[in-house]
Amino acid sequence: MPEVPEVPTRAQNPDAPAVIVRSDDELIEKLEVMRAAQREFANFTQEQVDKIFAAAATAANKARIPLAQMAVEETGMGVMEDKVIKNHFAAEYIYNKYKSTKTCGVIEEDKAFGLTKIAEPIGVVAAVIPTTNPTSTAIFKTLICLKTRNAIMISPHPRAKKCTAEAARIVLEAAVAAGAPENIIGWIESPSLEATNTLMAEADIILATGGPGMVKAAYSSGTPALGVGAGNTPAIIDDTADVIDAVNSIIHSKTFDNGMICASEQSVTVLDGVYDQARAEFEKRGAYFLKGDELDKVRHTILINGRLNAKIVGQSAHDIAALAGVEIPAKAKVLIGEVDSVDISEEFAHEKLSPCLAMYRAKDFQDALAKTERLVADGGYGHTSVLWVDVNEREKISEHAHRMKTCRVLVNTPSSQGGIGDLYNFKLTPSLTLGCGSWGGNSVSENVGVKHLINIKSVAERRENMLWFRTPEKVYFKKGCMPVALDELGTVMNKKRAFIVTDQFLYKSGFTKSIERKLDEMNIAHSSFWDVAPDPTLQCAREGEKQLRAFDPDCIIAVGGGSAMDCGKIMWLMYEHPEAKFEDMAMDFMDIRKRVYTFPKMGEKAYFVAIPTSSGTGSEVTPFSIITDAESGIKWPLADYQLMPNMAIVDTDNMMTQPRGLTSASGIDVLTHAMEAYVSILASDFTDSVALRAAKLVFDYLPRAYDNPTDVEARDHMANASCLAGMAFANAFLGVNHSMAHKLGAYHHIPHGWANAVILTRVARYNAADRPTKMGTFSQYKYPHAKARYAEMGRFCGFTGANDDEVFENFMQGIEDLKEHIGVKHTIAEFGVDEKYFLDTLDEMCLNAFNDQCTGANPRYPLVSEIKELYLDAYYGRPASFYED
Amino acid sequence: MELSKDKKVIVERGNKVVYDCGDTVVKVFNTHKPAADIFNEALNLARAKQAGIDVPEIVEVGKVDGAWAISTEKVEGKTMRQIGDEDPSVREDLLDQFVQLQLDIHAHRSPLMSRQKDKYSRMINAASEVLGDSIRYELLMRLDGMKNHVKICHGDFVPSNVIVRPDGSLCVCDWAHATQGNGAADCAISYLHFRMRGADEFAENYLNAYCKAQGCTKEYVQNWLSIVAAAELSRGRVVEKDFLLQWVDVVDFE
Repeated sequence: MPEVPEVPTRAQNPDAPAVIVRSDDELIEKLEVMRAAQREFANFTQEQVDKIFAAAATAANKARIPLAQMAVEETGMGVMEDKVIKNHFAAEYIYNKYKSTKTCGVIEEDKAFGLTKIAEPIGVVAAVIPTTNPTSTAIFKTLICLKTRNAIMISPHPRAKKCTAEAARIVLEAAVAAGAPENIIGWIESPSLEATNTLMAEADIILATGGPGMVKAAYSSGTPALGVGAGNTPAIIDDTADVIDAVNSIIHSKTFDNGMICASEQSVTVLDGVYDQARAEFEKRGAYFLKGDELDKVRHTILINGRLNAKIVGQSAHDIAALAGVEIPAKAKVLIGEVDSVDISEEFAHEKLSPCLAMYRAKDFQDALAKTERLVADGGYGHTSVLWVDVNEREKISEHAHRMKTCRVLVNTPSSQGGIGDLYNFKLTPSLTLGCGSWGGNSVSENVGVKHLINIKSVAERRENMLWFRTPEKVYFKKGCMPVALDELGTVMNKKRAFIVTDQFLYKSGFTKSIERKLDEMNIAHSSFWDVAPDPTLQCAREGEKQLRAFDPDCIIAVGGGSAMDCGKIMWLMYEHPEAKFEDMAMDFMDIRKRVYTFPKMGEKAYFVAIPTSSGTGSEVTPFSIITDAESGIKWPLADYQLMPNMAIVDTDNMMTQPRGLTSASGIDVLTHAMEAYVSILASDFTDSVALRAAKLVFDYLPRAYDNPTDVEARDHMANASCLAGMAFANAFLGVNHSMAHKLGAYHHIPHGWANAVILTRVARYNAADRPTKMGTFSQYKYPHAKARYAEMGRFCGFTGANDDEVFENFMQGIEDLKEHIGVKHTIAEFGVDEKYFLDTLDEMCLNAFNDQCTGANPRYPLVSEIKELYLDAYYGRPASFYED
Repeated sequence: MELSKDKKVIVERGNKVVYDCGDTVVKVFNTHKPAADIFNEALNLARAKQAGIDVPEIVEVGKVDGAWAISTEKVEGKTMRQIGDEDPSVREDLLDQFVQLQLDIHAHRSPLMSRQKDKYSRMINAASEVLGDSIRYELLMRLDGMKNHVKICHGDFVPSNVIVRPDGSLCVCDWAHATQGNGAADCAISYLHFRMRGADEFAENYLNAYCKAQGCTKEYVQNWLSIVAAAELSRGRVVEKDFLLQWVDVVDFE
């Protein structure tokens, strides 16, 4: 016998500061005492707790031998020396694992992201402790409860109540001596079903270890439970395994505490090629193979009516054989039954909680997997499985892991010692409560530890989104800049083949001639596609892409208004990524950075140059494109920074021939872009600066450009305004004005710029409401402030007033005056939209406008009914409604 | 109540004598039997009848020479046990009929009948002299974890309690142990009775036939064996004690 350290027993110290429940009636009352203690404990610091945890672990560790002796004596099961290891493990390994773990107060803090995690205790833990590991489980559970500032009330098994209580008492006394509140640990002296059920119902969480009945009771109690259950661990010895290691490890594991660890191997399935070798090794090392009728005798002893005979649990191989009337050597280590059936009717196929082992012969690895799958299904769902194999057989290891419905899959490891963690693998959490996942009817699938006994509060402080300002890498502007800019294609980039995309009008009127001349000059081969129609279609883009692909360019030059540039972008996309699907790319997003679809990388094949010939869309600097499928009528709005042109060339020379209608429509579109980007929930200092300047330029130069199309200065500034506004909405996005205008275009064919204009001041008034029904959702958008923003823009554009309201009104009047000047019609009806058709399609149009991608950035989150009011007012030219909620 | 002069003893047990009184059958209990037990049996019989099960009509509950007695109408015919004993060749057919009848009873409901779990829990607790704390704790925990069903369970369903009328219809008597609960437990009791009588082969055949007809596994019924054996122990019969104890001393897998 080793020297036994002195540990005072309960008899020597009857006044343990514990809550001891001596009758069922006093349980509730005693739990109140315990709750009071826990409330005090909940305020302890990490430092105080760690001191208590260390003291308690030390005391349990010192008492490991007397506790093991008591457990064997009281239960009549197991091996004292092995129980010493279990107690030692429960004290030392658990302490080592959690000594530095933060379990009190702030356990994690990320200042940059503003997230703090705070650990709080749960309260009173109900711990049900089994007879198989009565002291080690008690040490384990009390220690993890102390570490997490919980109180713990133990319901021991009647067969092990004294040793379990003794283990708890030793932990408690040391904890109290180290400063823990008295009464923080308690136990039921004479456990009964009623007391256990009451405890489970009253506690704040249940740590249940035991058979399926008890685990089920825990889960039915209505209290959150961490329950674990039955195992039926199968081991496979593959023909690539180190058979000597495998066999000796299995014997080592199976004999540990006479097989009472629930993770212990219950069967070994040996591949045919190494079966004889394994058998011989088992025999050599002291396993006993049951012969002839011995097998049946043991079968009928280990199980009674399909249930495990209590008399064999934790007994030695010799004693079990004797019980069955089989004479075997006294020192035999394991009883092995060589059996064929993996069916539940085979006694050896069950969990045996004793050194009895089933041995199967498998014809190959697949057969072994099939057998063990069945054994797991027959009583070990979720627990543990083992594979003995050459470590280089990765495929076998992976297939085995895939096929086993067990939460621990051990490789080349004795399962009793391996399953409890930290002995044979140092990342597997040490624990005496092994979760079996949903397969085992459990709420946890891992080894239970301190993290399961704390509530973690996440304190999340408001943070603002990172924003951005993205533009083409090169934006060239000024009258006459185009040839200079194009020069880079040859001299800097060394491009060889350029493909021009434009529309018929521009092509025929010789717009592309100057480009072609420049390309010829640089010996850049070129070809053109000039069939882009307004509102370009997918069919048109496909046609162009055919020519594009045949030409195989390293550079694409899109020349024209929004249509040519949009169509060019689509052709570019199809050329680079023919596999990409429009329905995926067009999927709406709430935040472009979090969208489900990842846009393919662009620019691998061709460099994209955009040259606008109208001052409106800003498409040369935006990541947007709209294409219509002529067959289905579906419009695909695409938005991703991958669609951003690489170079934008804003040359006023290309803009001088814009007809007046185009000047008017595209010019007012610029103002709409600037205004919507300015009040967008994503607006930033970067987008604000370009938006303000763009708006001012529109007020100053649009009337001049409209009145005198050859006014170079006005055209020059309008070209810049268009590009600046493009940059603003390329980054801050638009709003419900555009959502509604898109649908007016789609349903009633009103030119885009005028569709924007006809509702512009109405939507601004709607957005400017101080008390909107709902505001837009974005971290940095704090409160409805659109009116102030409009007023700010108004002031920048030269409008004045005593306060925001006055400036706003003057700004709106200024917009109306501008519209009047450039000939924008006053109502939707004036655009020739039939009233009946308008009303018939109105509801559908409203819903579609609501669903438009642009709606998301609007400062006011619109209701569909509100969109409808706006449309109706704009149709009839009714005075603006009162737009407060 | 007055017993007919021509009465014949049908069977005599430790706690009762059953008489054939011509039109009626009268069970006269010994004087130690509590009145509550007698009324409970009569009530079970009445409830089984109300639930639509073919049982003997209750005629009277009264006293015979100071002892409680239950009088029921006499059902013409022989018990299944008699028929099987007389002609072993029909036993297989009888077994099928027997199992079907048991399942038919299980298909009936009687919300007011006592609950099976309460009864077993009471009986297990009553067996404290033979069952230690630890075993009773395990048994009660296991019982507590069993599924709650509401099938009418006869509780002593054996061929001697089934009367086959001349027209072939079946009448079930002796409802003293009836409860509402889990049918598998009822099957476990029948199985236990056959095993206690040493009819091991018949017991296995019965269990297989029940499981097949019910569509459940043998393990599902076996789960109940330790519980019904423990309940049986509470009756205090010395003869079967060791046999029953062996069945009871099992543990749940952990």
